[in-house]
Amino acid sequence: MHEQVKSILAKVRSEPSNILKALLALQEQLGHVPTEAVPDIAHALGVTTAQVAGVLSYYPDLRLTAPGRHLIRVCMGESCYANGCGRLLRELQDRLRVDVGETAAGGKFTLDTMSCAGNCAVSPTVMIDRDLHGRLLPSQLDTLLERYK
Amino acid sequence: MSTATRLYLSNDTSARAAGAGVLADAWSEHPEVQLIRISSRGAFFLEPMVERDSPAGRVAWFNVTAQDLPLILSGTDGTPVRSIPFLAQQTRFTFANFGETEPLALDEYQARGGLSGLETALRIGPDAIIEELRVSQLRGRGGAAFPVWNKWKVAQQARADDKYVVANADEGDAGTYCDRMILEGDPFRLLEGMLICARAIGAGRGYVYCRQEYPAAAKTLRAAIQKADEAELLELDGEPFPIEVVEGAGSYVCGEETALLESLEGKRGVVRARPPYPAQSGLYGRPTIVSNVLTFASIPNILSRGGAWHAALGTKQSRGTMALQLGGRVKHPGLVEVPFGLSLHQVLEQFGGGMAPGSRFKAVQVGGPLGSLFPASQMDIPICYDAFAKAGAVLGHGGIVVYDHETDMVDLARHFMAFTADESCGKCTPCRIGSVRGREILERIQSGSGTIEDLALLHDLGDTMKVASLCALGGRAPYPVLTAIEHFPAEFRSKLRT
Repeated sequence: MHEQVKSILAKVRSEPSNILKALLALQEQLGHVPTEAVPDIAHALGVTTAQVAGVLSYYPDLRLTAPGRHLIRVCMGESCYANGCGRLLRELQDRLRVDVGETAAGGKFTLDTMSCAGNCAVSPTVMIDRDLHGRLLPSQLDTLLERYK
Repeated sequence: MSTATRLYLSNDTSARAAGAGVLADAWSEHPEVQLIRISSRGAFFLEPMVERDSPAGRVAWFNVTAQDLPLILSGTDGTPVRSIPFLAQQTRFTFANFGETEPLALDEYQARGGLSGLETALRIGPDAIIEELRVSQLRGRGGAAFPVWNKWKVAQQARADDKYVVANADEGDAGTYCDRMILEGDPFRLLEGMLICARAIGAGRGYVYCRQEYPAAAKTLRAAIQKADEAELLELDGEPFPIEVVEGAGSYVCGEETALLESLEGKRGVVRARPPYPAQSGLYGRPTIVSNVLTFASIPNILSRGGAWHAALGTKQSRGTMALQLGGRVKHPGLVEVPFGLSLHQVLEQFGGGMAPGSRFKAVQVGGPLGSLFPASQMDIPICYDAFAKAGAVLGHGGIVVYDHETDMVDLARHFMAFTADESCGKCTPCRIGSVRGREILERIQSGSGTIEDLALLHDLGDTMKVASLCALGGRAPYPVLTAIEHFPAEFRSKLRT
């Protein structure tokens, strides 16, 4: 872990150091930012552990634990709200037997929400990993989820 | 390949979400098809839309499935693009290329007038550029609507060893997507606008702060920067002007300009107290122009056609065109570029096509999650900054979301306050604490244990947040909630404990 963190951080070194960029680079490689790496990160960037922990806790997309193999995000923006995203979210919670932020048994899916995917004209929207699915009906969820292994 | 028919299919994220991706997968290897991936025209209710050339211009097929290919190849039942009312009634300048060009084809961009604004800017110099913008009366399109020339003048006159140009591509207002369309569909227009700004203020480096939710936008923009660099466009006065794309990490308030700068520096995206304004002291304390993507994309036309051309469009206080983005329960959701001045009713009827099947109108929200709600009785309001300011509302970034008869206004109000409570940066008390208390009061009303005093309390809280918050997040958060109560009082009262 120690060496891996160091080698990832070496690639994003800058002057002045950029904590967010470093944490995003770590997450890209490791899937999450392990809290035990905070002192190493602070040392490598020349900042305090409090500064690193502050940035880490601030941004919704920075994760402290590894997500499931696929990350499902239900868009909660106003256009999606008007088009029934609440029903989609409840269906997904029921099907996967998880709450928002949790990973389903077996580690296949993590369920989360997002505030807007910018897909408002084709809403409601569910984003799975980097793919957007629009005009989604609750009845289509089974077929959609089956496509992810 | 000479027998293959050129078919145009959008590669825009929303077009793909509507099914264009499935079509591309099905047809990419088809011997009779030469697939050209273009930007979207923004008529998303028709996507996936497939077009082909004809002697009378492009002809289109709507809501296409893979089985429609024989029909399209035989040329049967297509509609001429120029006769689609949703598009024909628009006045497209900033979005003129959409649906026409391949986003990363620099030659096509140039062939349609691209880079001529930059050429003018390089020829006339900083003072004359700012003068054109003053004449144009362009106001920032991100939400604050500040006169662009004024900001540029401040940054131009500031003395510093370095200056920056930052494009705000953190399009977080739910219901808006025009920046995403520009980033994915006409990225050179944004770069051209940024270069003109850099030339005017004397900046040495540019950044595009792109939200993490837009992976395709960031990818396209990076490719466009690479192409612009290869074409030696990223140079001013013989000095390199590098532009870097930096991705955010899911924080809404990072769309506020000072929080954005903090985030760009890698810190918590916490709002800074102003003054000093970014044009005086911005990124790393240097003079910085932070403007919205749509603002930068509006600038090339102003330089190539002249400020007076722009000032001749729109209304007295709101010159030019506005990119309105229709969403929610409207029949025809999509992008509408029109001069300022049409009424909200006209926009929703003429372009929105009325309500989605089975829906009855209840309210419309303009200006994102912090925008006011309008009931059916207030639909005559003209779309312009002054009329909205007079009504205590905002145009924001041009998002228009329609809610239908099934919407529970108490739940919607709770949804708004919960959003602010989630997204508050925490720096100022009215927003940090106020939004949480506001959410709690609305939850109390929703659960049936609220009282008439709770409604009064919401008003008091709203007044405090409006006047005492550091930025527009806390300052605007009460508006959708209070307008919901104002226009639909019976729904709130019926849930109160008696």
